[in-house]
Amino acid sequence: MKLSFNVNQRDVTVDVDGAEPLLHVLRERLKLTGTKQGCDEGECGACTVLVDGRPVDSCILPAGVVAGRQIRTVESLAGPDGQLAAIQQSFVDRFAIQCGFCTPGFLMTLTALLEENPRPEETEIRGALSGNLCRCTGYSTIVDAALAATGDDQ
Amino acid sequence: MTPSVGRSVPRPDADPKVRGTAVYGVDFEIAGTMFASLVRSPVAAGRVVGLDTTAAAAMPGVRAVITPDQAPAHRSGLGLSDQPLFASPYISYEGEPLAGVVANTLENARQAARAVLVDIEEVPAIADVGAALADGARFIHTDWASFTPVPGLPDWRRYGNVCGELISDPGGVDEAFELADLVIEDRFEAGRQYQAYLEPKSASAVYESGRYTIHVSHQYPFNVRDRTARALGVRPSDIRVVGHHIGGGFGARLDVSLEPYAGLFARLIGAPVKLVNDRVEDMLSCNSRESAVIKVRSGVTRDGRIVAREYLCDMDSGAYATDTVFLISIPMFVAGSVYQVGPTRVVARAVYTNTAPSGAFRGVSGTYLYFALERHTDNLARAIGMDRRDFRMRNLMTDGQSMLNGQVLSDAGILETAFDAVEEMAPWASLGVGPNRGVGIAATVWLTNPAPGQVTLKLNEDGTLGVITAATENGSGAVAMGVRQIAADELGVDPSDVILTMPDTDGQGFDAGSQGSRTTHIVGRAVREAGADLRRQIVEAGAQLLEESTEDIEITDGMVRVKGRPHRRLSLADLAKGAMFRRGPLAATGSYATPIPKYDPESATGMLFPTFPTPTYHVHVAEVEVDPHTGQVTVLRYLVAQEVGRAINPQGILGQIQGGVAQGIGHALYETLEVGADGRYRQRSLEAYRMPIAPDVPRVEAALLEHPDEAGPYGAKGTAEPPIVPVAAAIANAIADATGGSINRVPITPEDVLEALDGAQDQIRGEEE
Repeated sequence: MKLSFNVNQRDVTVDVDGAEPLLHVLRERLKLTGTKQGCDEGECGACTVLVDGRPVDSCILPAGVVAGRQIRTVESLAGPDGQLAAIQQSFVDRFAIQCGFCTPGFLMTLTALLEENPRPEETEIRGALSGNLCRCTGYSTIVDAALAATGDDQ
Repeated sequence: MTPSVGRSVPRPDADPKVRGTAVYGVDFEIAGTMFASLVRSPVAAGRVVGLDTTAAAAMPGVRAVITPDQAPAHRSGLGLSDQPLFASPYISYEGEPLAGVVANTLENARQAARAVLVDIEEVPAIADVGAALADGARFIHTDWASFTPVPGLPDWRRYGNVCGELISDPGGVDEAFELADLVIEDRFEAGRQYQAYLEPKSASAVYESGRYTIHVSHQYPFNVRDRTARALGVRPSDIRVVGHHIGGGFGARLDVSLEPYAGLFARLIGAPVKLVNDRVEDMLSCNSRESAVIKVRSGVTRDGRIVAREYLCDMDSGAYATDTVFLISIPMFVAGSVYQVGPTRVVARAVYTNTAPSGAFRGVSGTYLYFALERHTDNLARAIGMDRRDFRMRNLMTDGQSMLNGQVLSDAGILETAFDAVEEMAPWASLGVGPNRGVGIAATVWLTNPAPGQVTLKLNEDGTLGVITAATENGSGAVAMGVRQIAADELGVDPSDVILTMPDTDGQGFDAGSQGSRTTHIVGRAVREAGADLRRQIVEAGAQLLEESTEDIEITDGMVRVKGRPHRRLSLADLAKGAMFRRGPLAATGSYATPIPKYDPESATGMLFPTFPTPTYHVHVAEVEVDPHTGQVTVLRYLVAQEVGRAINPQGILGQIQGGVAQGIGHALYETLEVGADGRYRQRSLEAYRMPIAPDVPRVEAALLEHPDEAGPYGAKGTAEPPIVPVAAAIANAIADATGGSINRVPITPEDVLEALDGAQDQIRGEEE
């Protein structure tokens, strides 16, 4: 079936199979491979994208659901001039990245959190990140990066 | 130019990783690739009596169904050649490959793999080491006696389901036990832990001109080369391995998994082939940390000395020997390296079971071996009524004392420094105070892997410095921070002018992979060797170009100058350009491997991993609170004092400590792959396999202790692996303290905590009566 939606400020129409997950459409049909496939069961959060501003696990979301909606992926975060978004720069500066495979998912979850609540407390940040697994960092530097992006850690 | 070494310089691969442009192995595709999926055994033990591929071959997009008769039939392995590519006909674990399907898409390949009909005569599984060692137990491999070690390794004692056995019995142990005032004996168990790297395993291969090129995200490309060559029965040089960004490994990407199949299938169908594990098959087939049973018995005197010890361990190797035959040496290091002990007997066995072959996971075996040792140490202190910390301090190893293998620890006095360092962070007496709270302490001696590496440094014509090495950046920062910063300082250039390569076994010298914290120490040292040679060449070229003698040339701040005449100078770019057509491009290669420390080869039999080179010293303290109603454990504070030699990038090391402690918390409290009586894992998805999430992990408070190592670059020792090692021990001791009960296995479940609380109540009631 034909599916039309907006991804990263661009209208797209793609052919999709009935139950095809959004992640598959993004990675295989639109070649947006920044969104990662970690588990395909909605557990690890590496595939997190924003659907109308809300973070979802794109690996278990049937693509048909996003017809006419706005999708944002990690590729949308940097500015048109290539400048990193504040949360991205904060991840770089705060050593919040090791292997980096979970990073796009964390960035999208935090983007949604900071848009809804620009000054979250640490416990709110940790709570919001409960659906994103990171096996490398032990989370603290990611929390630090999020706090730094709020400007509250200075 | 400020030196890079010692500064927390952000890593260069952070940028592509935050943009989503970093290409991981699973993202990489060779043009025109086909996709393959393995048909895996649904049962743990049995015999294949029929394989019907008709339906699968007719499925949409299927190019070929690969059956065992198309594959080499011989066995190969990491240490022991005991593993076939396909189970044919005998199945030894659930998930063992039986056949393969190649199709035009991954989905079609997976669909068709499910359509291969396999007729299996199932036999009862041998699910754990107890069953495997029982009298009259079926042999997992009836032909075990015909297995041979890989070329270059002498055979060792093996029998039936025991594929490796270490025995260290120096004599006098039983007599020493006679001298003890008290003898305490404990039994411990540890569960399997899945590495749970977030990028599933994958491999892409193409076969051209009689050679295989394999693209993979792997910690040890040269081992992929060698293991694939052995599995396919070809020369190592017939295999080229190209590395891509690695989405976590933690040891699981040190041995081969999908690579030989990718190579074989690519050759058979004459087109590139890519395999990707789905998460379930990744979990089921992964070389997870082995489960183990440990018994420790020690004799102590009333005044707090350990006078005799016996340390016994059975490790579950799974269906094939893999690396447990090496790991059985490690109990010898754990039993007598942190604390002085009297005569000690160590017996450790690697045991076959009908489970997925186990393998390397950060802190290989040390996590549970120290858990057992340090729980036991608490019990010894308690038995003689001594404070647990005082008892440890009384028995600490000091400079110049020997481990059980006869290797001298010249700097073991650092242990006491580490105990002092955590005491300074938070006094022992101030922690674990209050109802349902407890504190635990654990110490560790760990090694820096000594295996070889090589680096070529080349001065590019624009003055940048190329670092050509097969060392892998697994995420730890060892290459992106350690090697890069060391290289920058060789010529005094900014780290942003250091260009790192990705691994390619055709183009780079041997490197033993990211294991045992070796990369910064070994590869960094190779950089220094290469740097000395490159600087010599630069000085010669500078003398030639500036028409001075070499003694008058120096390299400072990324410039080549005439001493005393600072304006007579060349930039490195001009020097490289000038040298090009006069003497050729400037490049130098350095190699390094840690010399094997002196040890006593007679100290044990079956010792395939005989020394602990470049040891480091660690003390961890955990403060916990247990919920008396739910049994939930909260880690309130976590303190680490870690000896690092020299910190090349302090933030990088702190990141390894925080991450290692988090993995250790998972090992201690949540993570386990339980094996059912049918030999199948009970946890079969990331939903069922509970891992630490952001609210579970406290901010670790860490002190880096610097004691520069003579051989290491700027004194650096290995730092990334050991932060996981003492964690289960420290947390278990804290929970035992909080509950007053006994904690004898990891992970420590809420039920275990409640049971420990009940046990302590019973004990109090018993004492009152």
